[in-house]
Amino acid sequence: MTELTSKERVLRLLRKESIDTMPFFSGMGMLVMPGIEKAKVKFATIHTDAERMAISAVWSARLMNFDCVVIPYDMTMESEAMGNQISLYQDSEDILYPTIPQKIWTDLDQVVIPKNITELGRLPILPKAIEIIKREAPDLPLGCWQLGPFTQAGQILELDQILKGVFKQKAKVEKLLDDLTDMIIKIGQYLQAAGCDYITLREPGVAADLLSPKTFKDIIKPRLTRILDSWKSPKLLHVCGQTEPLLAMMADCHADGLTVDAKCNVRKGREILGPDVLFMGNLDTYKLTCDEKTPKQVVIDVVKDMIDGGMDAIMPGCDLWPAIIEENMKAVVDTTHTYGTKPTHV
Amino acid sequence: MATKEELLERMKNGVIEYQEDEVRDAAQQALDEGYVPLEMIMDGLAAGMVVVGELYDRNEYFVPEVLMCADALYAGLAILRPHVPKSTEGLNAQVVIGSIQGDVHDIGKNLVKMMFDVAGWEVHDLGRDVPLEKFVEEQLRTDSEVVAMSAMMTTTMLGMKKVIKMIKEKNPNVAIMLGGAPVTKDVANLFGADGYAESAGNAVSEGIKMIGRLREMRNKGK
Repeated sequence: MTELTSKERVLRLLRKESIDTMPFFSGMGMLVMPGIEKAKVKFATIHTDAERMAISAVWSARLMNFDCVVIPYDMTMESEAMGNQISLYQDSEDILYPTIPQKIWTDLDQVVIPKNITELGRLPILPKAIEIIKREAPDLPLGCWQLGPFTQAGQILELDQILKGVFKQKAKVEKLLDDLTDMIIKIGQYLQAAGCDYITLREPGVAADLLSPKTFKDIIKPRLTRILDSWKSPKLLHVCGQTEPLLAMMADCHADGLTVDAKCNVRKGREILGPDVLFMGNLDTYKLTCDEKTPKQVVIDVVKDMIDGGMDAIMPGCDLWPAIIEENMKAVVDTTHTYGTKPTHV
Repeated sequence: MATKEELLERMKNGVIEYQEDEVRDAAQQALDEGYVPLEMIMDGLAAGMVVVGELYDRNEYFVPEVLMCADALYAGLAILRPHVPKSTEGLNAQVVIGSIQGDVHDIGKNLVKMMFDVAGWEVHDLGRDVPLEKFVEEQLRTDSEVVAMSAMMTTTMLGMKKVIKMIKEKNPNVAIMLGGAPVTKDVANLFGADGYAESAGNAVSEGIKMIGRLREMRNKGK
């Protein structure tokens, strides 16, 4: 097979068609410091400006040879559009992502989601950033993502209130999750209409070390399925933390592929899912790509083991932490491309 | 009048079954009937929380249940703690605790704080999204023996390294505890911390195990 572009490679993989080699891509943040520096922008300014967001994303991919570009970077856009103030930490020298320090609502039934949410806050900059990325990097697939309803609820209300609410105020929690599900469908469709090539539904707050598999089945899964049914393919589902007890249910949410973090045992995961489900993620984004004490050879060996263990693509288990060790990051990408030449879905 | 054992059982089961009102009533009754508050805390509330930890470890309870059990424990603690004379607690220690700047999550932090509250420590809770220097300032101001920090995200975790360095430079004897989703034992060692709780989940079981150890130490001392 002639060599594919990254875009062809990723999109063919997501359609389970044959590919030349395994891609290194993600459904979540792929922003790294070399890309930010090359774009000559400050970290705190890249979340609020389409041009800065787009260019830092493209440079990150180009410099590290990633097989994708992903925006946005932070989890507060929707909450901000609903009226919450964000902290950008503009005075900090550290890499700090925007947060919502104080939430405007204190009760589950106070939440109001504006009908025109895609016109509010920073959400309108996303189609502009998508346009720039598609112009600057037509050979790279562009991924966007949305938080799932449960995790998103934790961006607009206190998380412990939602967690306890599952037992104490179940009807109110379910109503809120339904409203957020509608919002997430709408924003996902808005991003797809703007040109994103694949979309990821990430629901990190429902891992099996936080919520019971029963709660996942009863409360989370039906809503994840409704969202994924409403989006076009290709579409991925990501859950963080303990996922082995959830994988079979995740595979039944109608995503085109599943992604997990470093806590999931690759071989066990593959055994649960069988050979036909696209299974990705798992790369430890601190130990392998940021810890200066991890030797390059260890990085190479781990990536090879993930491929041997049955991963369909090497993908970070979470957003990449931007302060990478460049040599190790490049080793991840190179090993994926050179060792990953035996796609499982040919 | 209820026996001590009956009241301890009611408090313990009330914590396990997250019945705040039941725990509050039993704690008030224990106080009214003249039982020793510290004994009621350790053998009633804390004993209940130890069982909660076991249920969590066996995947019978998850974080929502543990949070509700913690609410029940605090309902009893609020009644009993003010009546424990400082001198009988056996320790007069202080801890500075908080979630680090950039992190607005505090569930794990609050569960570890519960362990210190049960143990009768003076807790200086800085809350969440705490600027790095604030940990250092508060430790110096209070001369606390322990500084406990949590970070839920990898992106904020590296701030901990700076705090540890700043504190150890000024006061090498301070014990530092790290916790949060991305923190592993390797990371804690690398940063020079003295203890860690691996995740929100592990903070639950680590915090509760510490309560168990406290009870063991106290029983040995009896």
